[in-house]
Amino acid sequence: MYLVNDIIAFLAANLILSQALGTSSLFIAAQSRKNLTGIAFCIMLFTTFGTGCAYIVDSVLPFGASEFRLLLYTAAVSVFYILLLVLLYFARPGDYAQLRKYVHLSAFNCAVMGTLFTMSGKAEEDSSLMSFGEYVRFGFEAGLGFIAAALILTAAYRRLNSSKVPQSFRGGPAMLIYIGIISMAVWSLK
Amino acid sequence: MNERKGSVFDGIAADNPVLSGLMVISPVIICGDTIKNAQALIWAFSVITFLSVLISSFVPKELPYTLRVMTCALISSTIYVPVRAAAEEVYPDAIARIGIYFPLLAVNSLIVFQSETRFFRMGRLRMTASLFFYILGFDLVMLITAVIRELLAYGTINSRIADVDVLISGLGEPFGGFIFLGLMCGLYRKLRISLKSSRSAEKGDMNVSGK
Amino acid sequence: MLKKAKKERLIWLDIMITLLSLELMAYFYYGMRAVASACTCMAVSFAAEFISLRLMGKKFTADDLTCISDALIISLMLPVSIDLRIAGYTCLFAVVVTKNVFGGRRNMIFAPAAAAYVFALTSWSREVLMYPEPHTKLGLFEKPDVLVHSASHAFNITGKLRYTDLEILMGNFSGPAGSASVLLLLISALMLIFRGDISAGAFLGSLLGTGLTAYLSPVGYSRVDSLGYSVVTNMVLFASVYIIADRRIAPRRNIFAFYYGFLIAVTAYILTLTTAKENPIIAAAVLFTPAALAIRSLERKIDSELEAEKKKELEKAPADGEEAELHE
Repeated sequence: MYLVNDIIAFLAANLILSQALGTSSLFIAAQSRKNLTGIAFCIMLFTTFGTGCAYIVDSVLPFGASEFRLLLYTAAVSVFYILLLVLLYFARPGDYAQLRKYVHLSAFNCAVMGTLFTMSGKAEEDSSLMSFGEYVRFGFEAGLGFIAAALILTAAYRRLNSSKVPQSFRGGPAMLIYIGIISMAVWSLK
Repeated sequence: MNERKGSVFDGIAADNPVLSGLMVISPVIICGDTIKNAQALIWAFSVITFLSVLISSFVPKELPYTLRVMTCALISSTIYVPVRAAAEEVYPDAIARIGIYFPLLAVNSLIVFQSETRFFRMGRLRMTASLFFYILGFDLVMLITAVIRELLAYGTINSRIADVDVLISGLGEPFGGFIFLGLMCGLYRKLRISLKSSRSAEKGDMNVSGK
Repeated sequence: MLKKAKKERLIWLDIMITLLSLELMAYFYYGMRAVASACTCMAVSFAAEFISLRLMGKKFTADDLTCISDALIISLMLPVSIDLRIAGYTCLFAVVVTKNVFGGRRNMIFAPAAAAYVFALTSWSREVLMYPEPHTKLGLFEKPDVLVHSASHAFNITGKLRYTDLEILMGNFSGPAGSASVLLLLISALMLIFRGDISAGAFLGSLLGTGLTAYLSPVGYSRVDSLGYSVVTNMVLFASVYIIADRRIAPRRNIFAFYYGFLIAVTAYILTLTTAKENPIIAAAVLFTPAALAIRSLERKIDSELEAEKKKELEKAPADGEEAELHE
């Protein structure tokens, strides 16, 4: 029974539908199944690992030095960026050229950085969330949210880019309006 | 000569970063609902982007792509520190309202990814001019969006009450931002298409008369 | 192609007949104001459709009159007391933003009336959810002195309705202009199903979904009351006929359409039960649009595979025949 409410809450908390974070990557992810899998998986990795690092940064950052948070988050994501590329290079040398573009696209993405800052803000408001597990869980959920939004867009992608759509609205503008209407429906139900 | 001039000004209209490239759209969608928010965002975006791209242009091109991107992101994150401190003095209220979108401006795609393809291939002087107009393009879209959304959603202009009969409060919400920006992008493209076709028609006429 | 266009026009005509009968009922309960609201919606929709088609470089044809039926659906979902400008903006949104931006009637993504109603609900929730009492006869531009919550609101909170069964059947309770006339809606649904104008699967799925969940997990104490009231309140019946079963949006195969309607109804009912939100079925229908699109593309794939198989069989058949002749 409460699964429906949980799904609505999950959609309402979706970083794309409610905060417009990572919209441009979403447009690329929705283009094909291959892109969707690659980008969504990379973004989920970055949000999960990133929130773990964000927890460490938040717990060591002294009070009143919040302006350095971005720099430290960027440094943490950079380290993971390199690690992931190295790992891919040795683990999948054949697909490296193809897979690395997904890593490039996901690293300094609004969806990733936005997730870290959103979680940090939540933990500031509610101290019970200030734990490694909560941070990582939020990061993982944000990644899942990205996949959900990408699937919603994929369902309409062909129609939004079809020749029947007026040339001026084809692609990006139609996708923005489509996401806006879905976001409106979620907003009215939350 | 004309072509070269046109390409420097591209950022304002012909290749607007928001309307044409769909870059940096999340702050426009979420924070572009009041002029006060827009002012703070414009200030932050302009300073951070201008300084970051300018300094990042000194990063050696021989470095691998990954390292270059990382360095750009780290430079802009460093620039964010003094900009944030200054913003707290100039726009103390707006900082809280803008929230996470302020730091996110520092890692926007125009700085981190697009600077490679758009700016770093140009000479430094030309790059500076082009960058200025790209930033101006973002600022203009942000301001126009904020003025219209604030007027229609809240019935005010820069917090002063305006005479609006029916308020559309949904325009002040994120979904309103998505829909409004989508419509603006569509209208912008329509204008561009019709301008292009009228120009090509003019050229055609000139060719005919030249014959 | 010509046959398809003819069929589309006949469907539109049937739907218009049922909508006009609901509008007549609204006139009976609320007077000229109901007509004013409907006329405003139709005029704005027509003008918006005409202008936007011109801007898109297309001609306005008789098929584009579907905007009028969408306008009537919107006017029947709104309270008659609604500011006419709000009704106008809602219709403008329906035609321009939810339909023509995506390519118009040839590339329908959302049900225009549903998306526009959600837009009105999110922008003017107070105006959209407060209604005049039935039999409050209003002039063309008159506004009622007293507005009340809908019967759905009372039902969602208390699980009871203070109306008799006859009053409920006749739609004699506070609510949207035309979507409360239960008996008329049932007759319209039957007529539209038998004429093949709406998706029978989606309609039945939606009713069964609401009924089943309402019976298994009632809003009030009585299961039977919950079952009956849940179907007639919160625009469930109206949405099942004109929005969920809309052939332009619902999956083509009845079995898929049934599940589509069923899921929307179950989601909407659970939201009503847990959050007491009014008319969640409309927003749920908009939210399930990606599912409808995905099912439709799946249907296309199945169709093309079936066609390919048929072709193969046809190609095989003459070859087999030749072989048989040779054997003989």
